[in-house]
Amino acid sequence: MAGLILRQIAKTFGETRVLRGISLDIADGEFVSLVGPSGCGKSTLLRIIAGLEAQSSGEVLIGGEDVTGVRASDRNLSMVFQSYALYPHLTVGENIAVPLRMRQLTAAQRLPVIGSLMPGARARGREIAGAVSEAARTLDIDGLLERKPGQLSGGQRQRVALGRALVREPAAFLLDEPLSNLDAKLRVHTRAEIAELHRQLRATFVYVTHDQVEAMTMSDRIAVMMGGEILQCAAPGVVYDDPEDLRVAEFIGSPKINLLPADVGDGGRLSVMGHPLDLAVPSGARGVRIGLRPEALVVADAGAPLVGRVVHFENLGSDLFAQVAVPGLEDRVVLRASPRMRSSLRLDATVALSFDPAAALVFDGAGKRLRDLRRPAANRHREAVL
Amino acid sequence: MTREWWKHLVLILGALIVIAPFYTMVSYSFKSPGEIDRGEGGFFGRQELMVDEKCVKLRDPNRDDIAAASARFPGMDDNAIRKALASEAEADCSMRPAVYNYSQAFTQAPLLRYLANGVIVTLSIFALQVVVALPAAYALAKLRFWGREAVFGLVLFCLLIPVHAVALPLYIGLAKLGLTNTYAALVVPWTISVFGIFLMRQFFLTVPDDLIDAGRMDGMSEFAIVWRIMLPTAIPALLAFAIFSVVAHWNDYFWPRIVVTGNRDLFTPPLGLREFKGGADGSMFGPMMASATVIVTPLIVAFLLAQRRFIEGITLSGMK
Ligand SMILES: Nc1ncnc2c1ncn2[C@@H]1O[C@H](COP(=O)(O)OP(=O)(O)OP(=O)(O)O)[C@@H](O)[C@H]1O
Ligand SMILES: [Mg+2]
Repeated sequence: MAGLILRQIAKTFGETRVLRGISLDIADGEFVSLVGPSGCGKSTLLRIIAGLEAQSSGEVLIGGEDVTGVRASDRNLSMVFQSYALYPHLTVGENIAVPLRMRQLTAAQRLPVIGSLMPGARARGREIAGAVSEAARTLDIDGLLERKPGQLSGGQRQRVALGRALVREPAAFLLDEPLSNLDAKLRVHTRAEIAELHRQLRATFVYVTHDQVEAMTMSDRIAVMMGGEILQCAAPGVVYDDPEDLRVAEFIGSPKINLLPADVGDGGRLSVMGHPLDLAVPSGARGVRIGLRPEALVVADAGAPLVGRVVHFENLGSDLFAQVAVPGLEDRVVLRASPRMRSSLRLDATVALSFDPAAALVFDGAGKRLRDLRRPAANRHREAVL
Repeated sequence: MTREWWKHLVLILGALIVIAPFYTMVSYSFKSPGEIDRGEGGFFGRQELMVDEKCVKLRDPNRDDIAAASARFPGMDDNAIRKALASEAEADCSMRPAVYNYSQAFTQAPLLRYLANGVIVTLSIFALQVVVALPAAYALAKLRFWGREAVFGLVLFCLLIPVHAVALPLYIGLAKLGLTNTYAALVVPWTISVFGIFLMRQFFLTVPDDLIDAGRMDGMSEFAIVWRIMLPTAIPALLAFAIFSVVAHWNDYFWPRIVVTGNRDLFTPPLGLREFKGGADGSMFGPMMASATVIVTPLIVAFLLAQRRFIEGITLSGMK
């Protein structure tokens, strides 16, 4: 087990800059998720860590050692591929045994027929068989060891791919969207299994996904990537509650965060839809927008800043999301309510929504988070750090 | 309906043209020389007993034979004994033409030896071609290196060069090395098959990159990837290539004829056919066609067994 350090990793394919200086410290035993929209360079970064792709500049350190120029097979990392990449001609058991056979047997011991006659080969073979059946038991595939990958379902293949990666004790595990091909139920189940495995093994995990629920539920830290950069790398709660960047706030959270344009008045005082707020920004800020999570909005009496018409419901059972069309706003405002509110939130009903200014996330015109906020009227001198 | 009918007629005519020489070969291998000359006797010939003149001549009794046989023919003079012995020999040497042709094929020339040579040569060629073509095709399909396209261009270019064009320089090279009249001369020039490299490269292009990267992550060297991942997944393509290669080299007459001069122990099956070519007493078409039949039989049997794979292989390489 070892930590990983990435320093200013950049990658260009021809003219396109895919990664633009990625720096990231991953501690020993940490579970870090890389999330971001499709094409933002997650797989490329993972492949650079693995040594399957060479970075254009920057360096990768594994356990404190610079591995630039070290072959993938010598980096002692395990990887699960987006496509599983099981060896089609080998059985499940043989597939899982490959990493052990390649690393623990000598070249002579690996020879097809006479290999098993070489001194020490028998004992090693038994060790490997033991490790394989243990990995298979952990992943609940011990009944499938004799089958070929072609005879397995997608979920079973995915477990075999995990088994092949987990059978060894590498410096770190790299997983590239390993759950993307599973149905919803199996995905939730396997998600829990992987998190469990991480707790058991206390190993370093780098987990690529574009599914933020996976990232939120499993990781110690989430690195949000976009356009070849890491915008923010922090614990899931921090990324959700306290995003550094508008793009992070927009990407994390489902349904998406509500964004309201705000006007900056005298002394930096903000107002939304002509309704002054108890918030002020440093003067000079321009194009300010306020981000409000759906759960930050509450149904209020008339006179609240936002008044609109309910146009659509999404009832998820545990939660109720109502889309409210507010005149003057392009996007609909999404409100999270408990299903008990169903009766008061009829379709076409007019609702007034208000929010606690402390829950508002304020971003400047460039999308950077504004943290230097004040309460204007009553406590002009007191600074509220939100 | 009428259009279908025409198609079938054309196909049947084509098939007849292709089959005709095989029909003649098999038919001649059953017939007596007289029937072959006169073109009679249908497919099998009449299979009347015929006398093998050579065999009779070999048993022409001399003085000692007559003396030794006098005990068996009491009260006969030498002349009568000679006649009796001659007719005995004639009876022993007469047989059905089919039996005559095939026994001649196997006794007149060491056909089994030739067949063994054919097996040794074609299998060595194929094995060495695989050893060369798989790593080359892997590099051309999956590794990124400077000049890869140029190298592949050269491979394509080599596909255009007919073997006859380079036969002479090759022969001179082998002769200078003192390798003519050896198995090496029959095998070595064919070990690099550009067709094999091309075919396997096209197949390797369809193997997903992730599979190779998985091999690297599992600790395989590039050569281990070739033999442990690419080879097993390429079995269908390899089988198609095996059929092309084996058929071409089993049937090859041109190259063995050039590099094997005199040493009959190295003759491959097609060279064996020359044993029956016309001498002073005319060609022995019956035995010749019998050995030709024996030579093509292994290929035909192999083809029938692998027929489906063969056709698959051809469509895979996009060739006709
Ligand atoms: N070999 C390559 N040559 C050229 N461009 C490439 C190559 N590999 C990746 N790219 C480009 O780099 C960008 C990042 O690709 P990458 O596979 O890392 O995305 P990703 O974040 O993993 O996306 P996804 O979530 O869809 O898997 C993409 O725009 C892609 O087109
Ligand atoms: Mg990807």
